[in-house]
Amino acid sequence: MKKTRNLLFKLSLVCLVVGIAYLVYLDARITSTFTDKMWELPAKVYARPLELFAGVELRPDDLAYELEILGYRKVGHPRSPGQVARNHGRFEIHTRGFDFPGEREPVRHVSLNIVNDRVQSIREGNSTVDLMRLDPAQIGGIYPMHGEDRVLVRLGDVPETLLDGLFAVEDQRFYQHWGFSLTGIARAAMSNVMSGRVVAGGSTITQQLVKNYYLTPERTIVRKLNELLMAVLLEIHYDKEQILESYINEVYLGQSGPRAIHGFALAARHYFDTPLDQLGLHQQALLVGMIKGPSLYNPQRHPQRATERRNVVLDAMVAQGAISAEQASVAKAMPLGLNAAPRIRDTFPAYLDLVRRQLRLEYREEDLATLGLSIFTAFDPVLQRQLENSTTTVLAQLDKGGELQGASVVTSVDSGEVVALVGGRKVSYAGFNRALDATRPAGSLLKPAVYLTALERPTHYSLATVIADAEFRISQPNGEIWEPRNFDRQAHGNILLYQGLVNSYNLATAQLGLDLGVDAVVDTLKRLGITGHVPAVPAVTLGAGAYSPLDIAAMYQTIAAGGFRTPLRSIRDIVDARGEPLHRYPLEYDRTVSLQAVNLLQYALQSVVRDGTGRGVYNYLPASFEVAGKTGTTNDGRDSWFAGFSGDLLTVSWIGRDDNGGTGLTGSSGALKLWGHFMARASRRPLAYRMPDGMETEWIDSSNGYVTGEGCPDARLMPFISGSQPRQRTNCSPRRGTISDWFQSLFRD
Amino acid sequence: MRLFLYLPLLGLLALLGACAGSPYSLPRIETGQPEVEQPPVVTPTPTPEPGAQPSPGPTPAPELPDTTTSAHDRLLAAAEAARDRGQYDQALAYLERAQRIDPDNADIYLDMAETHAAAGRLGQARTMAERGLLYCSSTRQCNALRAYLD
Repeated sequence: MKKTRNLLFKLSLVCLVVGIAYLVYLDARITSTFTDKMWELPAKVYARPLELFAGVELRPDDLAYELEILGYRKVGHPRSPGQVARNHGRFEIHTRGFDFPGEREPVRHVSLNIVNDRVQSIREGNSTVDLMRLDPAQIGGIYPMHGEDRVLVRLGDVPETLLDGLFAVEDQRFYQHWGFSLTGIARAAMSNVMSGRVVAGGSTITQQLVKNYYLTPERTIVRKLNELLMAVLLEIHYDKEQILESYINEVYLGQSGPRAIHGFALAARHYFDTPLDQLGLHQQALLVGMIKGPSLYNPQRHPQRATERRNVVLDAMVAQGAISAEQASVAKAMPLGLNAAPRIRDTFPAYLDLVRRQLRLEYREEDLATLGLSIFTAFDPVLQRQLENSTTTVLAQLDKGGELQGASVVTSVDSGEVVALVGGRKVSYAGFNRALDATRPAGSLLKPAVYLTALERPTHYSLATVIADAEFRISQPNGEIWEPRNFDRQAHGNILLYQGLVNSYNLATAQLGLDLGVDAVVDTLKRLGITGHVPAVPAVTLGAGAYSPLDIAAMYQTIAAGGFRTPLRSIRDIVDARGEPLHRYPLEYDRTVSLQAVNLLQYALQSVVRDGTGRGVYNYLPASFEVAGKTGTTNDGRDSWFAGFSGDLLTVSWIGRDDNGGTGLTGSSGALKLWGHFMARASRRPLAYRMPDGMETEWIDSSNGYVTGEGCPDARLMPFISGSQPRQRTNCSPRRGTISDWFQSLFRD
Repeated sequence: MRLFLYLPLLGLLALLGACAGSPYSLPRIETGQPEVEQPPVVTPTPTPEPGAQPSPGPTPAPELPDTTTSAHDRLLAAAEAARDRGQYDQALAYLERAQRIDPDNADIYLDMAETHAAAGRLGQARTMAERGLLYCSSTRQCNALRAYLD
């Protein structure tokens, strides 16, 4: 007997020691993590802010779209930030203001007038606003693996009535209990016994917080016990306000794609597009009601059920004396008041992919998902909408079956910023990002590098140099014979250098490239900005290799910018969670090619769209709108390319099939249409002709390359690097009053 | 019986509570306030936060001066002021904003060149000036830009 008692005592002692050790462990878990670990804040990715000033070109509908995606509410008379009234081209906007890196944009109440797609005036009260910008749209976030997103809020900024509703429904004795509520547990136990399974938790706010923070969601007795112990420990260490503040920031309130909506502040923005402190009673009650089952009571999917739940909360609040019956009936009569603005967040996966890749070069994924960084990009939602629209429209015209894929990159010519990007036909589908990852032969898109290599040797070549377009064959080191052909299977004899590019003659270009040296051509491609592998084989002159639309954009960006190379950037600034600038990606130019030679190349690329394979762009653009570009087609029409630029935008478009099958399209019957459709609607500035120092123009007879007179047969005004003009002359003397060619018209101003 | 087993545990909880004398601060909430060494919050009352608008940094960033007339003039003036304070990055940020608004303006490239030069980045100053030469219209402007090429 004594022995048994002894054993029992020892056993109890062991239990006590183990129990104490376990408690110490739980306690350490709580205190070590509660203060620091919890607030993992995803990085926010912002679009460019829309700049507004008198004179800026802006379609009223584009401004309306920008305000819509920013969640501005349409009202009769704007009274508070985030509201807008519109009457055709007249907008009255109460802006929200925004803290930009190093510069604050104040809240303003402005009247803005747009006439003929141009902002005519911006007035604030009696004064004129010279320059302002709207807040930038948040286009996405970089979330941790579990997708948690939240906006933090201080307890003091949470409306009193929301807290009252929370206590009424979730935990009436919050300020009295020690972390658990015996009556709550009894009530839950009762209903569990009644139903024969675990249906109710009877959890206090503290227990719910513990459960969300530290425990797995399954319902077991062991977990429940842990929850209880940890709740008590939490109450011992922290006061009620701290626990409550953590709860309101932690509580899970629904899912939006991969994103988990945590905390009342984010939920208020997500469901109502309204700051938490501006929510109406009916909206507060809905959020409180959703805690019980965020997907069950999702107001977007189950409005009826959500309304009923909201009203239950309002009734409970009346029962607790938090609000009057009258207030409750007013709130019950209200609609759900959901945010009606289109959801744009995370609907631009291709662009976000580019941003993420740029970030990964310098930041750890973990930091991006937790440090609460703000990432300001050059993304332009208005241009993106147009690019998506053009992609969908043109692909639907070209191929009703849905086999064809398309991808485009749009950059701003002056800054080298990527402003819009489409990675596939399903524009908002986060799949294979063809703009970045579909690497294909470039066809004739590489030809400009051959011509640029020649034009950089002005003692030997000018645009008017006579070259031969004739068949040839060469044996390569591997024993294979290379025998290029023209698209029309003809040889065109002697032509002027620029005509080889204008008509995209393969024979003339390949021969020219071989004369210059394959290595020299590869070097030019590198200098223009192609960073990946470029095969040093003769066929590179006709586009051999594997290039993504982004690679091609980097190359054409340098040409479009007049010979100034700049890396294609998507990010402008990164700011930390406290608003301190962390990193700026400045505009930097690199001079790697001859400015004069690039200028000549621009002339040739303008001729491509005026007289050559790119003529089709003027089915879309007005005849007076100068652009430059180049078509590209690969064998069997597997890839249809077009790369080109105006004064403000460079766009590279690709159309092909994922299985690399033939499309039956050439550059001009495929990608050119997408390019033209987009540029006609998006570009605002034609290409202006600016001759660098050291250049001159000359009238040339385009049939033989001789210097001739204005108005003479086949006369064409062409630019030359000084001293590289042809020496031979026709004997035709200049005549006045003839029809000027497009190039000549550039000099009229 | 079970409740009896919990009793020592509950006692222990009270003990742990008693030893937990160290003050814990509120979970860190980023409000845009500068992170300075603050004494841990011991009182249960949460610190009131100023307004809904988080302020951007240690000193509130300046709004653009209202003195000049056109959009890009204001930015150029702000850039010049920043450059004079030795804040070259901030100056370039203003100038890049100006360039996005008015990309054909040689003055902006001239100011960019000047800022890069002031920051000791002579190569970048030269390239900016070279690009500006494509846009210069007056002899004064062109000569000012050319000065960076030598």
